[in-house]
Amino acid sequence: MGGPRFRLATLIAYGIVSLWSLLVIIPTLWMVLGAFKTRREFFLDPLGLPSTFGPEAFERALGAGIGTFLLNSAIVTVLSVILIVVVSGMAAYVLARTDSRWMRFVYLLIVAGFAVPVQAVLIPLFQLVSGAGMLNSLFGIVLPYAAYGIPFTIILFYAFFLDFPKELEEAALLDGCRPVKTFFHVVLPLTGPAIASAAIFQAVFIWNEFILALLMLTRPDLKTLTVGILQLGGEFTADWAAIMAGLSIAILPLLLIFVLAQKYFVRSLAGLGK
Amino acid sequence: MATLDIRNLDKHYGAFHALRDINVGIESGEFLVLVGPSGCGKSTLLRAIAGLESVSGGQILIGGRDISRIEPFDRGVAMVFQNYALYPHMTVRQNMGFALKVARQPKAVIDAAVQRAAEILRIEAQLDKKPKALSGGQKQRVAIGRAITRSPEVFLFDEPLSNLDAALRSQMRIELGRLHAQLGATMVYVTHDQTEAMTMASRIVVLRDGEVEQIGSPLELYNRPARRFVAGFLGSPRMNFIQARVRSSTGRIVSLDAPHLDTGAGNAPSLDITLAPDAAVPAPGAPVVVGIRPEAFADGAGVGWQLNGTVAVVESLGRDTLLYIDTGPLRAFDSESLEGYFAVHRTRQMDARHGDAVSVRIDPRHVYLFDDERAIAWPERADD
Repeated sequence: MGGPRFRLATLIAYGIVSLWSLLVIIPTLWMVLGAFKTRREFFLDPLGLPSTFGPEAFERALGAGIGTFLLNSAIVTVLSVILIVVVSGMAAYVLARTDSRWMRFVYLLIVAGFAVPVQAVLIPLFQLVSGAGMLNSLFGIVLPYAAYGIPFTIILFYAFFLDFPKELEEAALLDGCRPVKTFFHVVLPLTGPAIASAAIFQAVFIWNEFILALLMLTRPDLKTLTVGILQLGGEFTADWAAIMAGLSIAILPLLLIFVLAQKYFVRSLAGLGK
Repeated sequence: MATLDIRNLDKHYGAFHALRDINVGIESGEFLVLVGPSGCGKSTLLRAIAGLESVSGGQILIGGRDISRIEPFDRGVAMVFQNYALYPHMTVRQNMGFALKVARQPKAVIDAAVQRAAEILRIEAQLDKKPKALSGGQKQRVAIGRAITRSPEVFLFDEPLSNLDAALRSQMRIELGRLHAQLGATMVYVTHDQTEAMTMASRIVVLRDGEVEQIGSPLELYNRPARRFVAGFLGSPRMNFIQARVRSSTGRIVSLDAPHLDTGAGNAPSLDITLAPDAAVPAPGAPVVVGIRPEAFADGAGVGWQLNGTVAVVESLGRDTLLYIDTGPLRAFDSESLEGYFAVHRTRQMDARHGDAVSVRIDPRHVYLFDDERAIAWPERADD
């Protein structure tokens, strides 16, 4: 299969992908290597390798409370993802199975909601959360994260459920299952790939979210990782090595999850756009 | 087992009329086949019986109970789907016992029902496997087993053999026949394959465009089709049809002629057909359609129409031979071939080649006659 033209096209494709990969990997690598540098090395030899690979910067980062920030991020991410997946899954199932024109309109509204950036509604959202007395509360930030994550996840699940074989649901109906039982006994067990993809998508977004966390979690013991790392920088100086160490710790959990579950991620992306 | 009555059933999808005034009565223990071309409404009718489609009008009664507006799981029916619809995350045992589990039956009852069904279908060795580890035939048996464990009043089959290869299809046809005899169950079976319909049915319902064309036993429909559509649909290859015209009529005998025909005796072409007792006599000059089954062509000279032509296509089936004959300007219409060749069936091996001259005869005793779609004459039969 293929001649010289195919080989050339493949070479070009691989070349572009390799270049792009380098553009992504190099800054990350620089960040990790930066965690092992002294301040002097940081500014005098920014592109060079560190002279030693000691854990001092990591110790300073952990001492500044990275452990607490990590735990807060984990709690907020896990709770938000669970809420998003449960609500979106059930909503998308109903929307994908309905013939009602009104429900289709609801789906369009949900898709339109996805287009609203968080920055556009930051002030009213802050006032809403503040008025509800939920500032500086981990659960208080889970709700807006869920609200922002649900539209996209509904779209993801909707595409999945459109392709889900209706005969299985019909068989379940004839076997005596009402719609709720059909959803939990037949549909949900087979929705693993979509759930994994949705969870990864949302986990990455929530873990890296900064603005809302900055506004709503001002108590030091409640800060998430992205906001807590700021503490490593003062008004006039910054412990860049510790910051790099903190950021390196921050990306580790997500990197691990993505590496383990990437096939679900890719499979689900292929089903989008319906 | 129960009777199934369908009365004045109507189904609309918006402006599209999918089922029109369907009336069918099915006896207890009967194997009824719904057959027809794609889009005729047979699957819609089956799904309406199952409750997977709502009805726009009419009634469906099982054992005298009106189930038209009852939930599917309360109707006393079980369905076998075309692509099996087995739950991929459950084992065969769990698939077959799922309905009983949903009904909160004791485990002992579920196990006994599953074991019994597995023995009937000879799939005991597959009980702890998942569907993806099974062959197509095994999956179909599990789907049937799932229906059996529900102990329904009526079994519904939606083209269950369509996804199987030809050899397996033949095997499963025999298996289903055995199953029907063993269970004595009322079964409604949908297929587009007229071979399945002819070999499996107690009675056949032929559907077209949402309407019932004819209901009867396989041989009734084959020998006495009420309409040209039924005559052409049942039988493979299809019946050959020729456009003709009534030359004259004497009592209940009509004389027909058709362009480009030769009696072989140098006379103007004419075919004398005796009409059915209750058929109206068409007026002279009226257009009619002559039908002749591929196996009914006679050899040699004699009474009737002589068809002279050349062999266009030969299909040797080992035991039988099918010849498609090009008869020049005379063409069959609505035929097996797009070119209008005449299909001739012989129950012997023949050494025929493309281009060979061939001559066959239409004997008036073996002719069907149709007047505007309705049958008005059938071949004589020894058992009439």
